[in-house]
Amino acid sequence: MPETKSDRRDIVIIGGGHNGLVAAFYLAKAGFKPLVLERRAQVGGAAITDEIHPGFRCSTLAHTAGPIRPDIVQDMQLEKHGLRLITPETCVTALSPEGRALSLYQDTNKSAQAISAFSQKDAVKYSEFQQSLTKISKVLAEALATTPPDIDHPSGADLWSMLKTGRALRNLGKRDMYRVLRWGPMAVADLVAEYFETELLRSVIAARGIFGTFLGPWSAGSSLQLLIRAAGDSHLAGSAFFAAGGLGTLTQAMASAAKSAGVEIRTAAEVIEIRVKDGAATGVLLSSGEEISANAVISNADPKRTLLKLTDPTHLSPDFVQKLQHYRGNGTVAKVNLALCGLPNFTALKNGDGAALKGRIHIGPEIDYLERAFDESKYGNFSRQPYLEATIPSLADPTLAPDGKHVMSIYMQYAPYQLKGDWESQRKALGQTVVQTLAQYAPNLPELILTHQIITPQDLEDVYGLTGGQIFHGDLALDQFFTMRPLLDWARYRTPIENLYLCGSGTHPGAGLTGGSGANAAREILKQLKK
Amino acid sequence: MAGSNTSKYDVIVIGGGHNGLVNAAYLARAGKKVLVLERRHVLGGAACTEEVFPGFKFSVCSYVVSLLRPEIIRDLDLPRHGLEILPLDGTFTPMPSGDYLWRVNDHGKTHREIARHSRVDAEAYDEFGKAMQAMCRFVKPILSMVPPDPNTLNPRELMKLLFIGRRFQGMSSYDKYNQVQLMTMSAIDFLDQWFETDVLKATMSASGIIGTFLGVRSPGTAYVLLHHYMGEIDGAFRAWGFARGGTGAISNAIGDAAREAGVEIRTQSAIAKIIVEDGKAKGVVLANGDEIYADTISSSVDPRLTFNKFIEADHLPADFLEDINRFKYRGSSGKVNMALDALPNFKCMPGPGAHLRGAISISPSVEYMERAYDDAKYGNFSRRPYIDMVIPSLTDPSVAPPGKHVLSCFVQYAPYKLRAGLNWDDQKEAFGDTVINTIAEYAPNIKDIILHRQVVTPLDLEREWGLSEGNIFQGELSLEQLFFLRPAPGYARFRTPIRNLYMCGSATHPGGGIMGAPGRLAALEILKDKGAA
Repeated sequence: MPETKSDRRDIVIIGGGHNGLVAAFYLAKAGFKPLVLERRAQVGGAAITDEIHPGFRCSTLAHTAGPIRPDIVQDMQLEKHGLRLITPETCVTALSPEGRALSLYQDTNKSAQAISAFSQKDAVKYSEFQQSLTKISKVLAEALATTPPDIDHPSGADLWSMLKTGRALRNLGKRDMYRVLRWGPMAVADLVAEYFETELLRSVIAARGIFGTFLGPWSAGSSLQLLIRAAGDSHLAGSAFFAAGGLGTLTQAMASAAKSAGVEIRTAAEVIEIRVKDGAATGVLLSSGEEISANAVISNADPKRTLLKLTDPTHLSPDFVQKLQHYRGNGTVAKVNLALCGLPNFTALKNGDGAALKGRIHIGPEIDYLERAFDESKYGNFSRQPYLEATIPSLADPTLAPDGKHVMSIYMQYAPYQLKGDWESQRKALGQTVVQTLAQYAPNLPELILTHQIITPQDLEDVYGLTGGQIFHGDLALDQFFTMRPLLDWARYRTPIENLYLCGSGTHPGAGLTGGSGANAAREILKQLKK
Repeated sequence: MAGSNTSKYDVIVIGGGHNGLVNAAYLARAGKKVLVLERRHVLGGAACTEEVFPGFKFSVCSYVVSLLRPEIIRDLDLPRHGLEILPLDGTFTPMPSGDYLWRVNDHGKTHREIARHSRVDAEAYDEFGKAMQAMCRFVKPILSMVPPDPNTLNPRELMKLLFIGRRFQGMSSYDKYNQVQLMTMSAIDFLDQWFETDVLKATMSASGIIGTFLGVRSPGTAYVLLHHYMGEIDGAFRAWGFARGGTGAISNAIGDAAREAGVEIRTQSAIAKIIVEDGKAKGVVLANGDEIYADTISSSVDPRLTFNKFIEADHLPADFLEDINRFKYRGSSGKVNMALDALPNFKCMPGPGAHLRGAISISPSVEYMERAYDDAKYGNFSRRPYIDMVIPSLTDPSVAPPGKHVLSCFVQYAPYKLRAGLNWDDQKEAFGDTVINTIAEYAPNIKDIILHRQVVTPLDLEREWGLSEGNIFQGELSLEQLFFLRPAPGYARFRTPIRNLYMCGSATHPGGGIMGAPGRLAALEILKDKGAA
């Protein structure tokens, strides 16, 4: 009988990225039996570790856990499942081409002290700015953990949560409340200029407002990104959270926690279609030809892939399809991972000061430098003097590389997905640009390289399933945020197709490796499933 | 002493620009004894007409009108005082390829013209117009509203917020979607959703950057697009025009209406100081040392002049001063005005014709617009700037001798702050040359027909017209400087930390352009506090 062949599940989750795993875990906790289907051979999405050279392991894409929501770590007991977070005292070190280095630490006073070598005034302002941001970030964290309200028909609960957010805002006091309202739409270059005079300090903080998006520091709204990031990590320049063994251990721990909660995970199981009947999702079709029917289908893939590729768009209204086509998500980052036979010697750091390199390394010494890097990408070229965020995780976690050897993981921006010409022919030039840029700060780097791994925006799409190579599943911008993520009125993890839900970074709150989208989605979906 | 009493006014308005005059007229009509003090020899501020070269009258700064609030035209009966608006028909965009895009007020013609570039866009253009009208309907009442203070618990203020919320809710989901996008997106991202023709998007996006230090791809510019879309003459949406006799004729008409209502206007009366005692404004000291007293001072000049120049810092709360110091001006545009012996001859449409009667826009592509901005970001004027040109003498022959013409070019970007080593006094003529060379690429005869030229740099706007950093809107129209944040959080309601001192210029809600709304709204607020006489 054909029925026996078809598998029937209560919940199918498409994609085993961190948000999919988080959502699966919470749904399993609530008594469901979710089945997670991962296209690739390993779960983890963009949070994975690969061996890039015999004996050298590196976080392939995301290289800092950024920052995972503490309640999720606790609920999933990730530490019990093998996660060990490493948080070096140095959060970030910004380098200047003249051979100066500015390190910012977890400790505000220590950071201020480091800044005072550049400007006494900035040192004072740093603490002041940090204080405001810490206060504001608490309110924002609360707002990000809520489900965006239904604009057309706000429910009692929606009104209550809006009221709560409103009250929390008011309780910040007049000055800080106005700061939130004023900062959101600002250009991050303006924001940092209001506080600081030191270019190196300005640019390392401004970088938080542009990372991963198609914005330059002079783009209005880049401050919003800084605020969203600060909601999870109130450190002004951003902390550095590593996972021992690479970021893959984070998602491995999540998978393990999910499994012990009752989740079933299948890898190498590629969903090629979401089955829809009479306006409701009924299951999924795998590339193997296997069909799995389900009461609810949850997609951890990005909104465009989910609704325009995996679903037959004829099930959606033309209006919705058109809006979704306009959802912006053109990637701007590339990744280069290096296996090194020794520690590069940075001219700005005396006698190979390893401690300064344990956090993130920021290359982009001036606001204008960052903006110029952005300029090129507007016209379809990758930056010849790019903004880089590098880490050498083997310093804090020697298990990643053989003794005395290292891995270096570098985010390169701007590498526009929409390139003049194709990425394959530019791959080598991209790698060279990154190495040459770094060599301006660490001249011996080129001779230490054992191997390159170059991941272009096209690879991000083709290999890792990120539409447009956008690492956040869609630009984080004022018009694609909160009640507008991914689309106005569709920010509540539901889709126009009944029983089809979204739980990936293309939903509120979106940014980075926080697990926020997965956890929020699970909460909303549970409400629906229990109806 | 009786003498000192007679010289006392109810209100002194600082600055005889269009907002100062509107403010004065409304106050006088409510029975106040009002004195307007203008530093220059002509009224109008940046809305002035001057005979720069004999026989040639220029709208030196602001050159087209559209945003002037209809209620002001009605209340002050401006047509009776000589205001006559002549329609400006269409926008002509020459392209380097030898083609052009020419949109006119005739719907059928424009439809056919756009269809020549793209059929899809021609259809979308109608839809777009309808959508923008809906947006304008939502935003317009907000322009006539005193911004609520989100920090207050005053029920009346909360009702206002609720009113905006309700109106928003009342829109269809289609309109809501557009509205939210307009408030947050870049002009190009917004237009990309509607159109495919590059030159059409480039020309339309220009409205989104006028007067701001932003590029067409910068988020927030879609709102400025809307701001300029709200223009109306006689209630017709999206209609721009000239004032007969130049833009100064608008200011003169408002000035006449004010005088008729009893306002006294003094030109060449520069202010040196606002007299503040015990936290209250009492009067002003003129540059010549004269002191004039009044119960209320209403300043139509920008916050930097009002609070940094005319008032000593110790009269102001530190928080407020910090906000005022932070208010962004960053002028980004200049003007080049020319007296012409003949009409320019465009390669793509030779000879005189109706295309010269409207706006001529040098905005051939989106990349062109964005690159113009890139130059400015690093402190250079654009090597190839965006230029909006008009030849008002074709519509209004009174502004030039017979057979001759005036050409008025609005030019962006001309950043007030040039990069280290450059200054505007040295760059002024090079800037003028750049503009002429740019035009010459499309109309080569331009170089042969120029009789005189006047270059107005952002520094000139600051020195001569008192616009700090040359910002034509008295402060950027960026999202963080709009509505209840304009010009400073907590002080968007035309009041200041100093009692009896009010603001009524473009630096207050709803902002710049020859709109008059700030002057009117401020007058109504002053009357609320002081009562009509």
